[in-house]
Amino acid sequence: MRLDRLFEAGKFVVTVEVEPPKGTRVSEMLERAESLRGLVDAINVTDQQSSVMRLGSLASCHLLKERGIEPVFQLTCRDRNRIALQSDLLSAWALGIENVLCLTGDHVSLGDHPQAKPVFDLDSVSLLWTARRLKEGYDLAGNPLQGSPDFCLGAVVTPEADPLEPQILKMERKIRAGAQFFQTQAVYDPKAYERFTREIEGLKAPILVGIIPLKSAKMARFMNENIAGIKVPDGVIAEMERAKTREERRRKSAEICARIVQAVRPHCQGIHLMPMGWEDLVPEILELAGINP
Amino acid sequence: MIGQTKKPLREILEFLEGKERVVIWGCGGCASVFGTGGRREVRQLAEALSQHGKEVVAAVGVPPGEFTCHAPSLWERLKGYKEELKACQAVVVLACGDGLQVLQETLEEGFGLSRPVYPGVNTQGLMGGGPVSFQEKCRQCGECLLGEFAGICPLTRCPKGLLNGPCGGAKDGKCEVDRGLDCAWLSIYQRLKVLGKLEGLTRAPLFKDYAKEKRPRSLKVGQEG
Repeated sequence: MRLDRLFEAGKFVVTVEVEPPKGTRVSEMLERAESLRGLVDAINVTDQQSSVMRLGSLASCHLLKERGIEPVFQLTCRDRNRIALQSDLLSAWALGIENVLCLTGDHVSLGDHPQAKPVFDLDSVSLLWTARRLKEGYDLAGNPLQGSPDFCLGAVVTPEADPLEPQILKMERKIRAGAQFFQTQAVYDPKAYERFTREIEGLKAPILVGIIPLKSAKMARFMNENIAGIKVPDGVIAEMERAKTREERRRKSAEICARIVQAVRPHCQGIHLMPMGWEDLVPEILELAGINP
Repeated sequence: MIGQTKKPLREILEFLEGKERVVIWGCGGCASVFGTGGRREVRQLAEALSQHGKEVVAAVGVPPGEFTCHAPSLWERLKGYKEELKACQAVVVLACGDGLQVLQETLEEGFGLSRPVYPGVNTQGLMGGGPVSFQEKCRQCGECLLGEFAGICPLTRCPKGLLNGPCGGAKDGKCEVDRGLDCAWLSIYQRLKVLGKLEGLTRAPLFKDYAKEKRPRSLKVGQEG
């Protein structure tokens, strides 16, 4: 079921991020999604994340929809101008895709084709506005559409951005432009997230808290040093450090995720898991967190 | 000013393969500020080409303040070198891409001279600053939005050209695309806050009109729009 209906019904929503393959072999991606059937509410498909060229999000979402799995179509402004973005939105709707996550996208220089021309004709906010115009029955140029989509539109926010105020102003701007729900950058400190929710009290939009299972203490340190808006507390890193074998690390990682989920649960409407290859850990995390499908 | 860098001598020599008689033409405008085509650089290139066996029939250092891209002054100066230009087999231009093309057109249309014209610099675009360091601050979009952004252009100074607020990628105030670069949006936010104009950051999104950037552009002096 589309996400806005789930939020309306008061369901604690669980989405999981899946990355399309580099190439045409979609079997593994579909198996990963299949393994989560019944456990999660939607599979969120990345749009050439980190600017690494891959099979498309739109085609992947279509393949999921065909199999009865609810997709969230991630759409970035990096590779398409406003004509292509609107066209892909119409295409998505024609293929039965109802949830769209509107993003600006990473810069091409961070990916595997740094020579590519970065487009960024629109950005996350103007893309949301554009998608809403399509919902209203018009394209961005004001032309009436023959049949219009009725998307559930999502956007992202970074609860631990520093400084936080411009991030909150942009969140407000996204809501005004048409965002109906948010998913966040990975949260490891529930108290920091709670502080964020107090800052956005006036903004009414459901939030899915981002959860990335830590694979090791090294990964946590790397993210702290290199990824903006991710802050893994020292105590959590120490916990991962004490786990010696792969099995211990997986178990500890699941425990940490479950603990965060339980702590943020009263302050959010769901979670967005980004397992980055550890999709098989998702059932354990959900079970430990006490989330029943 | 039009920022520019020198082309490596090796590249210029490749252009000149099989061509012995050469004219070097500089610029008294931006190229003299950037140390790519002032009188000194014209002289230096003339010496280097002579050492590589070229006959430099004229090395034209243009006086400071005279722009090679300005057709009327270029025409006046070219008239004094008609014979040398006739005698040469190639012209190396130490000016921006505009300067080179105006020179090439003036040679053809004014003198009926078809000579190969080669660039001795790489044009990097409009920049402000100096005397030593320059930064790109304006990308000449044709629709100035600086009034919206407290005088800081995000279209130019944010690598993604974001018009509607910062991305989530800045860390410690630095851009994720280039850690040496200050986040333009952080500066915009701080200045708008000081000016009491933060409400602009929650308004309906801005869209850039790229029709205003349709190339090639042309205009008349004093034109509005």
